[in-house]
This record gives sequence, structure tokens and C-alpha cells, in this order.
Amino acid sequence: MLIFEPHIHMFSRITDDYERMALAGVRAVLEPAFWLGQPRTHVGTFVDYFDTLVGWERFRAQQFGIHHFCTMGLNPREANDDRVNADVLALLPRYLEKDGVLGVGEIGLDDQTATEERFLAAQLELAKKHGLPALIHTPHRDKKRGFERCIAIVKESSLPMERVLLDHGNEETIKLTRDLGCWSGFSIYPHTKMDPARMVAIATEHGVERMIINSAADWGVSDPMMVPRTAVKLEQAGVSRARIEQLVWKNPIAFFAQSGRLTEAMLQQPARANLRETFDGNSVLRGQDPDKV
Amino acid sequence: MTAGPAAAILLAPMALSELRSLLGDAAATADALLAEVRADRSRLPVVFPGLPRRLGREPVRGGRRTLGGALVDLDAFRRCDVAAAWLLGALGAAGDEVTGLYAHGDIDERAMALRSLHFLPVGQATVALFGEVQRTNVVLHLEAAVCDGDLFVRTLGQPGFDQPTANRLLLKLAFLDLPLARVFGAERTANGELSRMLRDLATEREAAGRSVWRDTNRLLGRAPCPGAIARLIGGLEHGDDGVRLAAAEGLLALGRNDLAPFAKERLNREPRADVQALLQRFAGG
Repeated sequence: MLIFEPHIHMFSRITDDYERMALAGVRAVLEPAFWLGQPRTHVGTFVDYFDTLVGWERFRAQQFGIHHFCTMGLNPREANDDRVNADVLALLPRYLEKDGVLGVGEIGLDDQTATEERFLAAQLELAKKHGLPALIHTPHRDKKRGFERCIAIVKESSLPMERVLLDHGNEETIKLTRDLGCWSGFSIYPHTKMDPARMVAIATEHGVERMIINSAADWGVSDPMMVPRTAVKLEQAGVSRARIEQLVWKNPIAFFAQSGRLTEAMLQQPARANLRETFDGNSVLRGQDPDKV
Repeated sequence: MTAGPAAAILLAPMALSELRSLLGDAAATADALLAEVRADRSRLPVVFPGLPRRLGREPVRGGRRTLGGALVDLDAFRRCDVAAAWLLGALGAAGDEVTGLYAHGDIDERAMALRSLHFLPVGQATVALFGEVQRTNVVLHLEAAVCDGDLFVRTLGQPGFDQPTANRLLLKLAFLDLPLARVFGAERTANGELSRMLRDLATEREAAGRSVWRDTNRLLGRAPCPGAIARLIGGLEHGDDGVRLAAAEGLLALGRNDLAPFAKERLNREPRADVQALLQRFAGG
């Protein structure tokens, strides 16, 4: 079964992860721009990071046959940082026009401050202007209220609900989002957030319409294999293969296809890998013979 | 990367008009985008990445054609590449604007910026981006910058792009196994030092049991270095048709009548008509 991993921070992962994911059927990944674990102090570091997402990281994924896409945005945590927030917002339009950029994200709320809300609203406007969907990070603390605030801000923006993915949901938030018309995202983690067993219960109770699962794997304790692992758990629980395929392949494609820059046909073949080629003079081979890798 | 000076890249009105005519039914869309950027120059880096989606990725077609002083194979250029050149030319874009679009572009955007160079006046941006192509080793970008046109030979002699620098770029072409014929006029830049570099690459490749760039013999014949004649004569016996053809061409270019007996001896055993024809010309001369 093919898998579209719709939220993973490969910038922070190693080539073994790409290899394992490819072997498990991951044909494409989407990498939202995010928080690197340490504050950035000037806008130039965002420029380099964004260029990496559309450049080196896409190249790296291709070497393992995986199509790499991304979303661009100012993450909520750094939205609070006046050293960078306004300048990053000004930077975004040029990136939001790039072919491999399928949405605005991850944007949203973290501490749920007024500043975060202002930058969330501003970036929803960018999503409207560039005809893109929005991937919205929801808070890990006071989550239910955070969801409610995100929903309220989205409604104020008038961005169509079907172009909104409210991510990092759980058993409580699905009750808020199910009837809104937006998409509900669930991040499956080894020990925190959702786990595969809880996800099975949610999918069994609520179905998989407008539902997306991801690993959100990053620089922390996380597992890029969580989508394939969850797919196995769903099958063992008796969920049909068609519904599982909808959850891990059809749904994320349908959501990001709203950008007008993605079709399922584009993913029919693995990404073109050429181990002899380099990106900016750099390869993933670290001196190894391309014919033996 | 060294950005070019801020001097504007100016295209003659005639060349701009020809470029626009290649856009076909997308010309009106291109006009609107030009107006948008003219009204607000900061929109250029926003408009540029969207050109493939808005103007189209299909080849403009038309074969080899001289356009604004440049010889290009239009079959290799997409509508968005031509639109990029037209947009930059109509704006009188500065060299550092072009290098900036390349620097912050993804792989395909960079290829588009490089292909646009074929239609723009040669300048420091051309030299700077040739340097990037040389450094980065991306096949698509090498093709975009130096293949399917005569930009390489038009740039030779510009400050920063002297013969040794050009030789390294052609060596990269050999390293990545791209055909010499796609770099229009490059065979005329053959020189002894380039032949030595190609000979040494060929020797290394053979030692490693790997294939050798077929065009090596073409250039060795035009500017022989020590060992060139042995390679050309040996090339006539190679099992690869393309290598034999290049060796025959190389011998013809070399024009050494004392080597004609080798051509005559091979002629009766040569199965390929095109190689036979070359050997006949050489042996007959």
C-alpha cells in the first residue's frame, strides 16, 4: 500500500529514515516549515531554512525515491518573537508561489497569545491570496481551548473550511472538528500525543472522511514509521484496506491537491533518483560508490 | 556565488518582440505579469516561481533558430523559459536580480533562470551562473546553461570566463556524459590543454573499467596532445559505433595524410555507413 506522510520534519532526520520509509511504502512526504528547537535571531536564518526545504531536502528525499513537498509558514512559537516575525511574514509570498509548496504551514497557536493570533490571521490571508490550503498546528497545552480559538480565527478569515487542516488532534478535538467541514489531523507518537491503538479507536468510531494521520517526526523522540505502523494496526483491527488507503494515501493527496500543484498521477512513479548527481556540489553518498549503494 | 553588477540587462526591442511571439496564446498572461512587476518590482521573486504554472511547460518548438543574436534549439526550451527571458529582458533586470532568482529557486526554477540566459545579453550574471553550474554538478543545470544553444561560445572571453575556465566546464560535460553537439560551436574551442584533460579522464575511466566520453576523440583530433593519435587509431577498432564515428571524425579533422593507411585498412571491415563515409574521405584525401 502506498503512503503519503503528510507531516514530517525530515530536516531533522537521517537517511536511514528515508530508506525505512521507502521500504514501508512511503511514496511522498510533506514537510511543514517549523520550529527548530532553538530560537532564530534574524530573518536570514529563515531564508536559508526555507531554501533548504525546497532544495537540499527535496534532493535528499529523491535519492530514496520519495517525492518531497512542503508547506511554508511562520510557526506559532516564533510568531511571538519580534526579532523575526514581521520579516518572515514579508518573506513568505515568494516561497508560496513555488511548485513544491503545497500550503501555508505549520501556522497556528502555541501559547495562545494575541501576537500568535495576529500572525495566524495574517497567514490565513496569505493562504487565500495564493490559493493554498493551511496546515494549522494546535497547542499542546490547553488544547481544547486552543482548537476553539483556531476555529474562531479561521471562521473570521473566511478561508474555506475544506482548505483547513487542524492538526495534532485527539479524542476530544475530533468532536469539535468533525462537523465543521475542515480536515482533522492526528500525530501518532511513540509515547505522547496519539498512539496507534487510540487512532484505531478514533477511526473505528468516526470513520476516515477528511481525516489525516502523520508521524510529525522531528528532532525529538518520534518515529517516522508511525503511519505504516498505524496502518498495520488498523488492518489488524479489521478496518478495510480501502479505508486505510483512503486515510494514508487518498486523503492527504486530496487535501493538498487543493493547492493546484499536486495530483495522484504525479506520484505514480517513485521520485527520480540519480545517485551520481549532486545538489550544490553535495551528495548523500559521503564518498561511497554510487553503483554499490 | 558572486552577484553581477547592478547594470541592467537590456534586450533589443526586436528580440523582445520575437520572444513574446513565441509565447503564443500565453502572451496576454505574460503581459499582465510584466505589468504587475513593473508596478511593484518586489513582485519579481514572487511572480518568477509561478511562470511554469501560468505560462506552461510545453516546448515552444521551432528547431534551431537565431534569435536576438543567439543560436538556440527551440525544441529544448519551454514556454516558461522563454517567458522568463522575455520578462527579465523587458524589465531590464539587473544581473544580481537574475542571480538572486537562481540562488533562491528550487531545482526547476534554477533551470528556468539558466535557460533564460540564452536569450539575454551575455554579462557578469552569465559568468557567475556558469560558475555555479560548474560548482554544483547538477546535470539539469549544466544542460540548461550550456546545452542547446551557443551561449557557451558567446560567453568565452568574458571577464571571468577564460579558456581554462571554459575547459573545466567542457570537462564537466564529459564527466557527466552529455553530447558535445548540444553545445553549439564548442568543437571550435578545442585546444591542447583541453585534449590533455580529456585524455587523462579517459585513461582514468579505462583503468576503472568505465566508459569513456564518446566525444573525446572528436576534440583530440582537432587539437592533438601527446597520445592523441594512438587513441584515434585505436578508436577505429572500438566496439561502440559512436566511438568509431568520433574517431573517424577526429582523424579527418587532424588531417594527417600519413595516417590514411589506417583508415584504408579499417574501411573494408567497417559495418557502419556513416563511419565508412568518413574513412573514405580521409583515405581518399
